Amino acid sequence: MKRWMLVVLVIVAAALLPLALNPTGYWIRVLTFTLLFAAMAQAWNLIGGLANQTSLGHAAFFGIGAYTSTILLLKFGISPWIGMIAGGALGGLAAFIIAIPTMRLQGHYFALATLAFGEVMRVIANVWTPLTGGPGGLSVPFVPPSFAAYSFKQLLPHTYIALIALIIVTVIFEVIRRGAMGYRLRAIKENPAAAEVIGIDTTKVKLQTAVISGVLMAMLGTLYAQVAVFFDPDTVFSAAAISIRVALIAILGGVGTPIGPILGALFIIPVEELMNDLFSAGAAGLSQLIFGVILIAVILWRPRGFITVFDALIARLSSRGVR
Amino acid sequence: MSKTSSTRGGVNRRTVLAGTAALVASPWVISSARAQAKQVNIGVIMPLSGANAQFGINSRNGIELVADEINAAGGIKALGGAKINLIVADSTSTPTTAGTVAQRLITQNDVTAILGAFASSLTIAISEVTERRDIPLLTMSFADQITGRGYKNIFQVVAKASALGKAQLDYTVAIAQAAGAKIDKIAIMYEDTAYGTAQANGLRAAAKAANIDIAMDDAYPLGITDTTPLINKLRASGAQAVFPVSYLNDSLLLIRTMRQQRITMPAIGGAAGYVIPDFEKGLGEFAEGVLSIAPANYDLAPELTERFRKRFGYFMVHEALEHAVALDVLVQAIEKAKSAKAEDVTMALRGAKFTGGWTKAMTGGAVEFDSTGLNILSVPVMVQWRKKELVTVWPKDVAKGTAEWKS
Repeated sequence: MKRWMLVVLVIVAAALLPLALNPTGYWIRVLTFTLLFAAMAQAWNLIGGLANQTSLGHAAFFGIGAYTSTILLLKFGISPWIGMIAGGALGGLAAFIIAIPTMRLQGHYFALATLAFGEVMRVIANVWTPLTGGPGGLSVPFVPPSFAAYSFKQLLPHTYIALIALIIVTVIFEVIRRGAMGYRLRAIKENPAAAEVIGIDTTKVKLQTAVISGVLMAMLGTLYAQVAVFFDPDTVFSAAAISIRVALIAILGGVGTPIGPILGALFIIPVEELMNDLFSAGAAGLSQLIFGVILIAVILWRPRGFITVFDALIARLSSRGVR
Repeated sequence: MSKTSSTRGGVNRRTVLAGTAALVASPWVISSARAQAKQVNIGVIMPLSGANAQFGINSRNGIELVADEINAAGGIKALGGAKINLIVADSTSTPTTAGTVAQRLITQNDVTAILGAFASSLTIAISEVTERRDIPLLTMSFADQITGRGYKNIFQVVAKASALGKAQLDYTVAIAQAAGAKIDKIAIMYEDTAYGTAQANGLRAAAKAANIDIAMDDAYPLGITDTTPLINKLRASGAQAVFPVSYLNDSLLLIRTMRQQRITMPAIGGAAGYVIPDFEKGLGEFAEGVLSIAPANYDLAPELTERFRKRFGYFMVHEALEHAVALDVLVQAIEKAKSAKAEDVTMALRGAKFTGGWTKAMTGGAVEFDSTGLNILSVPVMVQWRKKELVTVWPKDVAKGTAEWKS
């Protein structure tokens, strides 16, 4: 059995799974957010994994996307599909502006610098009330259901849109990773000075990656807004709930690999929900505490991510298949 | 990374198929765990972790008290003594999580109604789910847009934030007048959350209507660590009264800094952080005499609220009280509808007037929802810290004591 067959099988299984869930239910909502977070972590993986720049400010692009499409819909009745493209353009622009002063920074300095940008955007969204609705947040209006208006009665179409988004972002990631840009990024990751010497414009390559990552993240912000229906500055520009979470998903799954963010999201989002379901009726805060303990245990167990488990499994399966 | 990719060659077909089947079957396995019993499930969604956890716990306590009392008295009579089964869930402090939790309670637990979720942003996120699924949501969140969006399944048992802000100013003016003082210059400080801004809007509008000069009007971020610049500005403003609107930590910091700098002007808080036991615990003697607006207060119906103090060891804070009222009203509606079906309960809630039970603890002595779902009988009260207790001092017809006003 070839590797592409495995990929096709996984996609078919993922496409069938939503059909087995209650279309107005709870697990389909969890699945939708799992797919969305997987796509977000994959977008982050471009800059965080390939370029080795641990961004903690991706909520800035995400929120820009959510706000742009929702404001265009509210003020001008423009379909979120078009709003998503506008949001992506603004997200890319923001990534470009942010990247110019920060791309020369490395390691912790870069992470700290980017952390501030999500916070700056949060403050702007809080204060610019006429446009953003201020701290009260924005509700996505319910328009008559149609694909063109990006409005559906049930969650199922949202689930498939999230799945398609994840596939697209993953394909983009793979194309870049395997292409010339991937080699340049790998060279920069291994040794920036050596990469410069052999003629790679390191700043330019990192800048390109950052912009692509920002565009994708902003477009996913629109998808998120359409599913969540209500959001406020604290939700979409949150360091903990967005920026750190997408980084955590990618790192827990296996940073720099195409499967890592998917594995990470498949673990983090459902487990957090399950812990909430099982323990939140008990002592206050217990579910979050248990979730935190599980995360620590998992990271201690597999410091290089779930991908190592996955690879070991595949290796064992294929060796048995050969026999 | 690159070295691992070469190992992925062939995969056993049977293993992949089995894995796929397991993946597809998992939702049925999970959903079969539902329990069926003769009881009415009511969802309780509260922030039980994060910055607002204390308020969420207070609210849950109030709801549990009423549920236990009703169950001990024989359950819901119209349904043959069916017991109330509370399903408590943590909304955390993220609206999206609150919405997901609501979805879970509706589909997995088959709830008749949902109570929650203290913070306005969480309540709004839940309402987006309950509105689409036609499940009644009863809340004590203040924000104006909760009942301002024309939703059919939401019920707000307290006055809106703008009404609270207006009362915060109007009552203060009246109290000052009764003490022979006049107010023509005030200061407003509020945190930049949905609650803070909405209430500040009400304050501002009321000040304008009363021709009062706003000498200072400052928003600050939630979780501010140094309030000295704000207090310096306040001292220089020449205001005769200050209106701070904030949750707990900020309220402690603001009042402590003020009093330490010997600024003795009256402070009139905007509920939330100013009307819970921790405020007095954190400030000690500095708390004495601080005024605050509140949607309700426990001293209006001690015969009911002392049961809370007896069980939990502290006075019945307003969010616990209002959530208790919300559950009582909900049970009355179920009794009236003789049904635990969500749409029947919504019908029974809308436009009806509920009296007796815990509704006596509300101003107006009853609860009546208008077509938007707002309780039109609820009027805010002004309370004042006196010897570790909150005393209702305004409006005059419900007051339990006279306000002390030192300008």
